[in-house]
Amino acid sequence: MTISRRNLIKMGVAAGTAVSIPSILRAQTSPTDARTVRMAMGNALSVYDPIWTATNITADHGLAIYDTLFSLDSKFTSQPQMVEKWNVSEDTKTYTFELREGLSWHDGTPVTAADCVASIRRWGEVSSGGQLIMARANEISKKDDKTFTIVLKEPLGILIDVLADLTPPCLFIMREQDASRPATEQVTTNIGSGPFKFNEALTTPGASVTYDRNERYVPRKQPSDGLAGGKIVKVDRVIWEFIAEQQTALAALQAGEIDFFEQPSADLYPLIESDPNLELQVLNETGNHVCLRINSLQKPFNNVKARQAILHLVDQEAFMRVMDPRNGRPETSIFGEPISNDENTGWYKKGGDPEKAKQLFAEAGYAGEKVVILDPTDIPILDNPSQLLAATLRKIGVNAELAPSDWSAITTRRAKKVPVEEDGWSIFITSEADYSLSNPLGSPLLLANGDNAWYGWPKSDEYEALRAKWADVNTIEDRKALARQMQHIWWDFVGDVRLGKYLSPVARRKTLSGLIGVPVQLVPMWNMQKA
Amino acid sequence: MAAYILRRFVSTIAVMAMVGIFVFLLLRLAPGDPAAMIAGKSATAEMIAGIREKMGLNDPMPVQFIRWVRDMLGGDFGTSIFAGRPVLQLISQRLEPTISLSILTMIVSVTIGVSFGILAAWRAGGLVDRILTAFATLGFSVPVFVVGFFLIYLFAITAHWLPVQGYKPIDHGFGPWLVHLILPTVTLSIPYIAFIARITRASMLEVLSEDYMRTAAAKGASSYSMLFHHALKNAGVPILTVIGLSFAGLIGGVVITETVFNIPGVGRLVVDAINNRDYPIIQGVLILVSGLYVLINLAVDLSYTLVDPRIRY
Amino acid sequence: MTLLSAPVEYVPTGRLRISGLPRLARRHPLVVIGGGLLALLIVLALAAPLYAGDPLNMDPFKRLQPPSAEMWFGSDNLGRDVFARTIFGARISLMVGLLSAAGAALGGVLIGVIAGYNRGFDNIVMRVMDGLMSIPTILLAIALISLTGPGIAILIVAITIPQMPSVSRLVRSAVLSVRERPYVEAALCGGARLPKVLWRHILPSTIPSLMVQSAIVCADAILTEAGLSFLGVGVPPEIPSWGNMISSSRLYLAIAPLTVFAPGICLAVTVLAVNLLGDGLRDLFDPRAKRRRR
Repeated sequence: MTISRRNLIKMGVAAGTAVSIPSILRAQTSPTDARTVRMAMGNALSVYDPIWTATNITADHGLAIYDTLFSLDSKFTSQPQMVEKWNVSEDTKTYTFELREGLSWHDGTPVTAADCVASIRRWGEVSSGGQLIMARANEISKKDDKTFTIVLKEPLGILIDVLADLTPPCLFIMREQDASRPATEQVTTNIGSGPFKFNEALTTPGASVTYDRNERYVPRKQPSDGLAGGKIVKVDRVIWEFIAEQQTALAALQAGEIDFFEQPSADLYPLIESDPNLELQVLNETGNHVCLRINSLQKPFNNVKARQAILHLVDQEAFMRVMDPRNGRPETSIFGEPISNDENTGWYKKGGDPEKAKQLFAEAGYAGEKVVILDPTDIPILDNPSQLLAATLRKIGVNAELAPSDWSAITTRRAKKVPVEEDGWSIFITSEADYSLSNPLGSPLLLANGDNAWYGWPKSDEYEALRAKWADVNTIEDRKALARQMQHIWWDFVGDVRLGKYLSPVARRKTLSGLIGVPVQLVPMWNMQKA
Repeated sequence: MAAYILRRFVSTIAVMAMVGIFVFLLLRLAPGDPAAMIAGKSATAEMIAGIREKMGLNDPMPVQFIRWVRDMLGGDFGTSIFAGRPVLQLISQRLEPTISLSILTMIVSVTIGVSFGILAAWRAGGLVDRILTAFATLGFSVPVFVVGFFLIYLFAITAHWLPVQGYKPIDHGFGPWLVHLILPTVTLSIPYIAFIARITRASMLEVLSEDYMRTAAAKGASSYSMLFHHALKNAGVPILTVIGLSFAGLIGGVVITETVFNIPGVGRLVVDAINNRDYPIIQGVLILVSGLYVLINLAVDLSYTLVDPRIRY
Repeated sequence: MTLLSAPVEYVPTGRLRISGLPRLARRHPLVVIGGGLLALLIVLALAAPLYAGDPLNMDPFKRLQPPSAEMWFGSDNLGRDVFARTIFGARISLMVGLLSAAGAALGGVLIGVIAGYNRGFDNIVMRVMDGLMSIPTILLAIALISLTGPGIAILIVAITIPQMPSVSRLVRSAVLSVRERPYVEAALCGGARLPKVLWRHILPSTIPSLMVQSAIVCADAILTEAGLSFLGVGVPPEIPSWGNMISSSRLYLAIAPLTVFAPGICLAVTVLAVNLLGDGLRDLFDPRAKRRRR
């Protein structure tokens, strides 16, 4: 070995430390054992009830310990999971479901139809898809221990797809005594019927969570396909660590202290790829849209021309550069796959169109009103585009002001409908899974019913009238056609603006394989194994 | 003396009450909504409103305050809005790493810092003094997290001697416990070593320049006796003050160090709680930390009388 | 680190009669080095608009560029000029450091001297100080900033408040041990009025500790700003400060090292200058300390 200065330093330090650290201690830094997987998850799990909250990390927890009636396969088609068989009556109003054999709770008692009924009701209080079912349902009841029915007032062609929907809160089946609580009250136990058991003794809330393989779990016979098919657990234990600092998480992955790093920053990709032991893998291939929400109740954006100005101003490639320089790409549809389309996208221009934007602002009668952009400094992927947006607006003479805070403060402020002078807001940026945007009944971002819509409160009666038809459109062709009509209107009244679409690959050690792809930011833990 | 201690205890309660009101108001006035954080990024306004109502966050502030104080007097620090568990239980789960790190850091910093300070004062202006002063200045000039990442790179990623991150409880064995704490302790100690060394040196020099020290020297006292019997004792008050005061700063350093080394301690707990606006946890931690701090400084004040007999209470 | 190896010679003087700056440099080289460096930094910072370019201009297509004639230190993750940001960053970091130190010193001395002298006042005020101090700076700052949103003024307030008690305690403890000394007792017995005794006899004796402490507060304030930025609650991200430059660029260390090193080295040099100045002033103001150099 050639003696470089760095090696000399290394040797010197080695000589010093070798004396002071007994070899027993050094053994502690060896990689974790082959049947335990350690995963650095993107957010801390602080709430355990996946119905009470819609956060991804709690849905991940739900996927581990609970099971679902239906699951999506790799083609995003709904397949039975806890359900053995189901049928629908001739008038397409009565659905009958029969549970498969061998389902049991972690406490040993069997899963019954009554548990499913209670779970559907609780989920139906909060999930928008669930609310739709509850509104249409005449009766949800058990027939016997294994069978239950949903009787509808009028047909609902998308019922099964709604039951299998992956946009949190997902329909996780809980015990009747847990599911009989109101949805606004947290379930305090962690007893499910899923492939993993929650190990409370080894869990430190907010810091780490431990799951053990559920030895009693009986998987379906079918091979694993997406989230559908047999859920076969190939490790004994999974430990989630919540490592707040990106550098630390990467270092831990490189050193083999963890096997999986859920959300590495885009700028770490080159470092990850240069390490022969590590690999990037895209689990959610449909990606996430970046959505720019505009407060359409207050000046200047209560004028549709001003909203159109933003639409024309945005240079999606520039925004993707600061968010995901590798995988980011323009996105001109308000919808996700498979209903994504190019209707009414004449506004799109590579590089943006500042001149047109300036002109539209002028036509809107813009007179230097303050434009307040909410900037979440604790979420880099949203902080960067917020800063860029402010700079871009200033260049065309808009009086843009950043309001930096943490995300929590934004959740308060974005709910305020008042003018910016009274602590209101003009614009904030958020993201939503492409998959969720493929369901106009599921994603709140696709509402345009004014005061009842999501933050920004876009209003278009014409659009809403079309959206109301969604529940009764049954073929994919009809849905695509309806989606085109809706999008045509959306890009005219500008309900929100898209900045592009990015991918969020996970980083893992090459020894960890068998991860399942999902169209949202969720990580199922069955099927994965460690070499 | 006894009367003094009693009086200090009474005033400690007053201090805690002040901290309590301050913390409570600070949090309630801050924007940010725990209900919205619970509900998730794409939650609807109704979902958030429902959670708020259920959690009692819509009650008038005085009602919330009285409820909080009453419960706390009964030993109930409330329940985490997020985790749904008692705050005391959450804090106690996180105490061990933080206490381990703090105590190790204090031991290392005081031992090395005071020694360096004495050494530097003894050879004031000499080479040793200059090297130590340079170290103290440098150690004080680099942000804690930069030192942390540098040490991780050197000792964990490049050399593989020490783990990058994490914490092992002491009942899993002393070895793993210590190994996981070496880098964090060194990282956190550097500024404190520098700090304590500087103060020790400054105080020692001040005492050494007193007339009675010259007298002692003239009488032929040895340098050992000069340094330890005369100077250190007289320089003790400022040194002790600084060590007592370091404790609050230490908790601040702990917050950053715990983040860098992913140690599941009280620091991480409270920073996460602030981000989530989990009021009961923030209140509980701040009250406990300030209580501990007040007690430590009471002990420091009392120890003045041991070091400097001229001070009497 | 040439600064550290620079000859910092103490010249035994007293007989030398050199007037002005050269004399100061001979007798108190630390004051001149530290003070000069600090003055230079302040001038560079104030003159920034004249030569540094635009620190806010972004170009996403020129992000993380290596140094060039156009951008001497390259560009950061939003394609901003790192050189311009480093120079403009000096304004913020120095302002945070100096204003915090001044605020803490003024408040601390006032409270400390009076508390050290008057026992009744002592009990009340020092308990209030205990209360303030018992909340760690970083936690107080995070809490305050989450109240108002990030901003420079609130950052300075958040750093100053918890530093004030530490200065006042130090001053108080020095006063406590000085007030029992014969020369103070003698002055009081001799009929001197209390404020005069405080001003003439007690306050000067606290200056050495105060100087060391003020330097520490100033340095600490600059570092605290960096730490808070690391935790994501420092200066607003748009405004360049060394702290938020280091922390927002830390992921790019391997790709664009200057984004971290430029502000990092400036920060270290500034803190160093402040500390050297503090040490030098200590010698300058405290003639007794010089006797040690027999």
